[in-house]
Amino acid sequence: MGERVLEEALRTLEVLVCVGPGGVGKTTVSASLALQSAIAGREAMVCTIDPARRLANALGLEEFGNVEMTIPQEVWSGADLSPGAPLHAMMLDMKRSWDDLISRTASEELRERIFANRFYQALSTVLAGSQEYIAMEKLWELRNDRGYPLIVLDTPPTAHALDFLDAPDRLLGFMGNDAARFFLNPAAKAGRFGMKLASLGTGFVLKQLSRVAGGQTLEELGAFLSALSSLNEGFNERARGVKALLRHEKTGFVLVTTPAPERLNEVIHFHDLLVQSDMRPVAIVVNRVHQAPDAELSLQAAALDGTLREHVEATIAEARLLADRDQLGIRRLQQEVKTPLIIVPRLPHDVHDLRGLAATAEHLLTPARG
Amino acid sequence: MVSGKGGVGKSATAAALALASARRGRRTLICEVNADERIPPLLGHAPVGPEVTRLEEHLWSVNLRPAEAMKEYVLMTLKLEALYRAVFENRLVRSFLRFIPSIQELVLLGKATWHVRETDDRGRHVWDTVVLDGPATGHFVSFVSVPQVLMDTVPPGPIRRDAEIMRGLLVDPAITGAVLVALPEELPVTETLELATSLRERVSLPLVGGVLNTWVSERFDAGMFEQLSEWPRLKELARAQHAAAERSRWALDKLQGHLGAPVHKVPRIYSEQFGREQIERMSRALEPLVAGSADHG
Repeated sequence: MGERVLEEALRTLEVLVCVGPGGVGKTTVSASLALQSAIAGREAMVCTIDPARRLANALGLEEFGNVEMTIPQEVWSGADLSPGAPLHAMMLDMKRSWDDLISRTASEELRERIFANRFYQALSTVLAGSQEYIAMEKLWELRNDRGYPLIVLDTPPTAHALDFLDAPDRLLGFMGNDAARFFLNPAAKAGRFGMKLASLGTGFVLKQLSRVAGGQTLEELGAFLSALSSLNEGFNERARGVKALLRHEKTGFVLVTTPAPERLNEVIHFHDLLVQSDMRPVAIVVNRVHQAPDAELSLQAAALDGTLREHVEATIAEARLLADRDQLGIRRLQQEVKTPLIIVPRLPHDVHDLRGLAATAEHLLTPARG
Repeated sequence: MVSGKGGVGKSATAAALALASARRGRRTLICEVNADERIPPLLGHAPVGPEVTRLEEHLWSVNLRPAEAMKEYVLMTLKLEALYRAVFENRLVRSFLRFIPSIQELVLLGKATWHVRETDDRGRHVWDTVVLDGPATGHFVSFVSVPQVLMDTVPPGPIRRDAEIMRGLLVDPAITGAVLVALPEELPVTETLELATSLRERVSLPLVGGVLNTWVSERFDAGMFEQLSEWPRLKELARAQHAAAERSRWALDKLQGHLGAPVHKVPRIYSEQFGREQIERMSRALEPLVAGSADHG
């Protein structure tokens, strides 16, 4: 009760991952935390996904994806703020990140084969699910190659919490259990893997699979996987690295939500999954909480007349209902999770500049409710 | 197909549309896709799981999940349960299927579109309306693009054939219509307009309407602000209400100007709980959208 958990986290942790449903202000919270760290004198990098254009502009981020930028002095002085250490920011570009990953792990000849494959093009650009993996992959890279004292990662809104936490395992599991090699060259490997397939021959399994998927599909997919699998070691190492990093003692998760009742099941579920997966939730940020109008306002309204009084009283009643609803949500979170809650009131304006981020940060650093 | 930025009331809108459709006497099926089931509880019913289940008069619901949808899909092709178990419950095959995210989306979309085509033994359509509570903005375009991606990626074969059928349904304005939900805030409005553009340009998915949820009407005029000048705190409160109404007006103008489909206002609901009663109110506001929907049965 009353601990300043996020202040402590900004001082001691090296990676903060902001997670939560879409549309709750994750990007703003991520950017505010990194900003606060820089103000307090600890260099920080915030890696965001598709931020609101105005926020991007406020941070001095241009359209180029995957470029690490440093917030320029004039942006700081324009907001009347002075940082104790540099603040860096980056927007994640999915396609570029996949290409970078392949470029780093593959030989030149192999790289061309992978880039030209239709499955790769689909995987790296439009297919859902690859976002989650590449965001964490980028985190690992930033962590290992760049030496930022603190990295704050803003994650993509996830339909399913599991997709996200599962991403390194998914790749690791696939690369690790011979499945890739199994699909490469069935004829040659049939003997070797046949035994594992519940005593059915590989040829039989593949034949059935090709009835569903189409024979040529399997062949092309095989070619893609074959190209990828020669990267097996590099991939494996990285996926293992990402997995370890998420469970590292210097890594913490910040769950962000609004107090609206319909979001809470998802948030509680996500919180439980983090704990079960040995990942550490540092705080739950309850964002955009409505403040209740006090009794004094009702007294003042009672002194008005006619339509004006009706309208003012209706407005007070609405504000009170929203505040009550939010308190109900907060109480439910308090009952169901042990992680400290940080309450951030609804701000009258959208946050779109450094000052707005600093104002949000002040709320983030207030003592937690237990 | 209902979509919108996360947190805008997408599922509530889908529930309200389905309720309005059922109230008009249309056999209506709600499809949730790979979600923590939300719609039946919003309507005051127990969650239904992966089987099509009747909720109330004219209204059924199903929660489509990848594992079950995959099994049904494969069984339709392979016909034999034993064969399915031998092949698709194989550890290696499973991890292979898990690694390719589009396969999941293909079977989910495949199952949903199958319900659209589903006929009874006399050849009549089983459903008059299928309401799909789609993924949020970011994932929605990938979701509905899957048939096209597969047509571009996969050589001729059963998957490609199914992808072509699905795509045919999705782009047919007599059958499919997207409903995009927004809030009167800058980001949701911008994302909704971007989504509409992507749907038009990349997927050719017909758009039938926009929903502006949590609409706030004007309440205070200049004279009233004048009268409130002695009460600075009340004036501040009134100003905040006025700002919300202005944002609503701004969002409506912006959506009406650029969405390319009629925009329906759903007034903001003030209550501690959100459930059946609130969905009923949304449903009444969305009556015109349902009344205007095309028949295909």
